[in-house]
Amino acid sequence: MAKYSDKVDLYDDRGRVFASKVPLEALSPLQNPAIQKIVSFVKQCVSVNLEGVEKSLATGAVGGKSCIINGRSLKLDLVKNAGSIADTIKKTLQVSADDDTDVKVLKGGKHLLVRVPAKRMNAGVEYTTGATSTAAALCCAIVDNFNVGIWDADLVHASVWGRYPQTMEMLGGNVSSLLSVPQQNEGMGYALRNVPCAHIALITRKNAMNAAALSSIMEQAAMFEMGDAIGDFERLHILGLAYQGLNANNLVYDIVKANSKTGTLGDVVISTVKRAIDDGVIKPLAKAPSGYINYTTDDLNKWNAYASAGLLAGTMVTCGAARSMQHTPSVFIYFNDLIERETSLPGVDFGRVEGTGVEMAFFSHSIYGGGNPAVFAGNHIVTRHSKGFTIPCVAAAVALDAGTTIYTPEKISGTIGEVLSEVAELREPLKYVNEAAVAIKGGV
Amino acid sequence: MATYKPQLYPGNSKVAANRKKYMDPSYKLEKLRTVSDDDIVRLMGHRVPGEAYKSVHPPLEEMGEPSCPIRELVEATPGAKAGDRIRYIQMTDSVYFTPLTPYMRAWSGHTRYRGVDIGVLSGRVPLEARERDLEKVAKELVETEIFDPARCGIRGATVHGHSLRLDENGLMFDALRRFQFDKKTGEVVYVKDQIGVPLDKPISVGKPIKEEELRKRTSEYRVEDVAFRTDKEVINFIERLHMLRTEAGFDPNRVKGI
Repeated sequence: MAKYSDKVDLYDDRGRVFASKVPLEALSPLQNPAIQKIVSFVKQCVSVNLEGVEKSLATGAVGGKSCIINGRSLKLDLVKNAGSIADTIKKTLQVSADDDTDVKVLKGGKHLLVRVPAKRMNAGVEYTTGATSTAAALCCAIVDNFNVGIWDADLVHASVWGRYPQTMEMLGGNVSSLLSVPQQNEGMGYALRNVPCAHIALITRKNAMNAAALSSIMEQAAMFEMGDAIGDFERLHILGLAYQGLNANNLVYDIVKANSKTGTLGDVVISTVKRAIDDGVIKPLAKAPSGYINYTTDDLNKWNAYASAGLLAGTMVTCGAARSMQHTPSVFIYFNDLIERETSLPGVDFGRVEGTGVEMAFFSHSIYGGGNPAVFAGNHIVTRHSKGFTIPCVAAAVALDAGTTIYTPEKISGTIGEVLSEVAELREPLKYVNEAAVAIKGGV
Repeated sequence: MATYKPQLYPGNSKVAANRKKYMDPSYKLEKLRTVSDDDIVRLMGHRVPGEAYKSVHPPLEEMGEPSCPIRELVEATPGAKAGDRIRYIQMTDSVYFTPLTPYMRAWSGHTRYRGVDIGVLSGRVPLEARERDLEKVAKELVETEIFDPARCGIRGATVHGHSLRLDENGLMFDALRRFQFDKKTGEVVYVKDQIGVPLDKPISVGKPIKEEELRKRTSEYRVEDVAFRTDKEVINFIERLHMLRTEAGFDPNRVKGI
């Protein structure tokens, strides 16, 4: 039986209704099969830069920037033979003939998209199985298919694994996972938050609604792992995921549409408050001498969901109008300042998004270093404080940027974003999560 | 229930009323001076007047955009459509009854202008936007009642001065001496652009607003006039927000009807 009585209407990324009165918990990462599949794919799917391996072998440039081993070279036609390498990798990784192993050849053999079977992942406790087993299988495939001898096998290893194990991660390697190595996570349960927004924008092919959805799914699923979306706080996070990330009740789309031609951030705040009043989420409490009305609510979790949907809409309107990602921290601070002054109710995540905005503003506007919003993630020291409500907006803003940054999302992401955009569930999460929610709604 | 009307800001004082006024986009800011478009461009120093806008990417129409419902919905500003660079104007506001406090620059900027990136620092407030959009915003920022030639400074770098005593002519301290008081005309003239690069010819930004007029127009709470603590409504608002944020952090389910 459902813990919560909330029901929501589901919409697609273009504001078309998909299903009505779906139990909120059908969108919970604990229940929704598509979300669980997405989380699983994030672990299982690995990108191989076969062209990169070929170049490394040919030039002896292995293990990261400025590392070239002169005199070492191996000229192998890996890209031309991508098909046979893919077959060998598949056979190596497969646990049983009918399992979910998959290896796709992309871009004429330059890249491979490898899905490591769930059976292999389940035999270990760490998500790194995806990257390690793919790297090892690739080394074996190159050695076997190209008859590489014992004196050259080390070069193959270095071109695939990079400088690892001298470094924690595969520095300069050519196998990449969306997830960083565990040592690079800020704390317990941060794995799904350690994905830069550049990857998210490219995986979703710069569809801002899907970028926000994928980011929100990963952030809010992480909240369950981190110990945040538990007990008294569980509903807060599921509502946030539904309304901000998954466009429940078409809130995000409606607010963006209402302000799409001339709206300012202030107008988005007004639209959000108006909708919250119309839907009975907030109501007047008392009038001050100046006529200022304090608003109140009986459901602060839902108010937070409305405010967080408004925050995303505000990002889409502001960054969308400027076609620029750099406005995100300013939106985080002043959307919240303005909505708090408008209602006398706390802003998104009860002040944490505003605080995150202050720090992010410093670290994304050059003066103190840092980088553009595309490098930020929920694990980033500057943006980790809000519990899942900030990063979806950053991902959407990165998707909306028309090319204002020196380091573009494409440069930051390398091959991983582009390769993983081949996975339909990651590329169009809204569609798949909605379908799955409808499929299970009777059983929730 | 009565129809909802945006209220913008709490408070029951002259300062609060000014804050509401400046934050309200339906209130037309009073124009107090004229500075030509070319002079605005010169003051910012990003391009020479008449020079074509430099671009950071091709015009949107030429480059084509990815298939995205939000891009289809949200109309780009003229500067974004053309692919303009993102440039800035930065203001320093004196603590002595300046029309806008730093935070007010952000609040009013976000309610009045579309597609702007505003940051508030201790002594300066940059506003960034696509170049041609920025020039329009900058003109209003300099020509209207939210600017005082003596106590607001257009300063891209070396902004220090907001908390220092005013000089004998009532001007805010500026280490780069970008602006001067012209005793003959009684006007403030800029001899350097916002970065401090000398201008070919001085640019007048008009006469300083008189002290009593500034006190009427200011959005700053200050002990010599309207002290912050005297506006009980704003104090109550701040305390309420602090309490609600804290209690919601403990358990959002317990915050009901307050």
